[in-house]
Amino acid sequence: MRDPFSGRKYVVVPPIVPDVAVIHAFKGDMFGNIITDSFRNDRLLAMAARKTIAVVEELVEPDAVLPGKHGVFVSRVHINAVVVAPGGAHPTACRDTYDIDTAHIMTYMEATKDEKSFLNYLEAYITGPKDHTQYLKLVKSEVNND
Amino acid sequence: MTNKAIHPFETMIIVISRLIHNGEVAATGTLSPIPAAALFLAQRQHAPDLVPMVYGDPDMRITDGLMEFFGLVQRGMVDLFFLSAIQIDQKGNFNLSVIGDHARPKLRLPGGAGSNMMAMMAKRTIFFTVTHTPKLFVPEVDFINGTAQDTSIPWRRGVVSHLATPLCLLRYDPAKGAIVLDSTYPGISLQMVAENTGFDLDIESRDIPEIAPILQEELDFLRGEVKERLQRIYPLFCSMLW
Repeated sequence: MRDPFSGRKYVVVPPIVPDVAVIHAFKGDMFGNIITDSFRNDRLLAMAARKTIAVVEELVEPDAVLPGKHGVFVSRVHINAVVVAPGGAHPTACRDTYDIDTAHIMTYMEATKDEKSFLNYLEAYITGPKDHTQYLKLVKSEVNND
Repeated sequence: MTNKAIHPFETMIIVISRLIHNGEVAATGTLSPIPAAALFLAQRQHAPDLVPMVYGDPDMRITDGLMEFFGLVQRGMVDLFFLSAIQIDQKGNFNLSVIGDHARPKLRLPGGAGSNMMAMMAKRTIFFTVTHTPKLFVPEVDFINGTAQDTSIPWRRGVVSHLATPLCLLRYDPAKGAIVLDSTYPGISLQMVAENTGFDLDIESRDIPEIAPILQEELDFLRGEVKERLQRIYPLFCSMLW
């Protein structure tokens, strides 16, 4: 397509508009203002999606929604729901809070090799535990056993 | 001074660091411990004004992640970027997507991500590869994610400059439009390089130098300060190498 300003020809693609974006943030308040990891594209996702759910490590007072060294502020106008779930990024990392659970990632990678072992994984870690607390208890007990 | 044997990756890091100019804005993508170490080493050695943008470095501060970073590259603000590939051919085409036919591949990989744009818009690109085999350096890639240069695209800014491998330093010759051998590493013969490359590197017609000797100073900084810095970003790579 021809750029109306420079006259040069460019390939263009339509923007992606997700129905729902789910992002994991450091902290947020009850109105949906959040601080998230500045290395990722969470703010872009929140601004592009029709609806955005922010999972936060911590619920704080509005005055405490301040970015630290690696945080970026995302206004409530882009956020539709806040879910408080400490440890919610497991088995991946949440910067400055917890590291990636490498052993669990290896377990997951092994499990994805065939249909049956993956169903077993889902049963053990996703559909089995009755809630996120129980899931975290399960994966933490495995870390302690290592 | 105690000196355990120099690992090929250490040679690569040192060779790449010597290609980095003072004052450049130089960036690395994911899974790039070798160029990240090269940037840190160059900064310590001869390029104090280098601006290293090492993906995952806690010392780097940014606001909008990859969107901001890609925007920076597209505006021509990044001088140097580093890529690797699963296949590279004589013309300097690189493949990150599939081995075999694209419709029915033998192996499907995560894909090119931003590599095509980076190679076009960063002023120069240096490749690094963790192996050097005829499977990697092939006569023709199975799929083209990007090219070394393309004069038919007027807004293309960058060219591939060098390719560092565990056996040697290659470079892209823009006049020939082909990858040629630049220099060898100590203990690696021309024959060994040729046997492990699936295309002609123009070895016969000219004298190929060996890289300048690795200095004790370079090794000491690499195994000291650089390692300390790299450990915070690539702990597994560091424990494998040192």
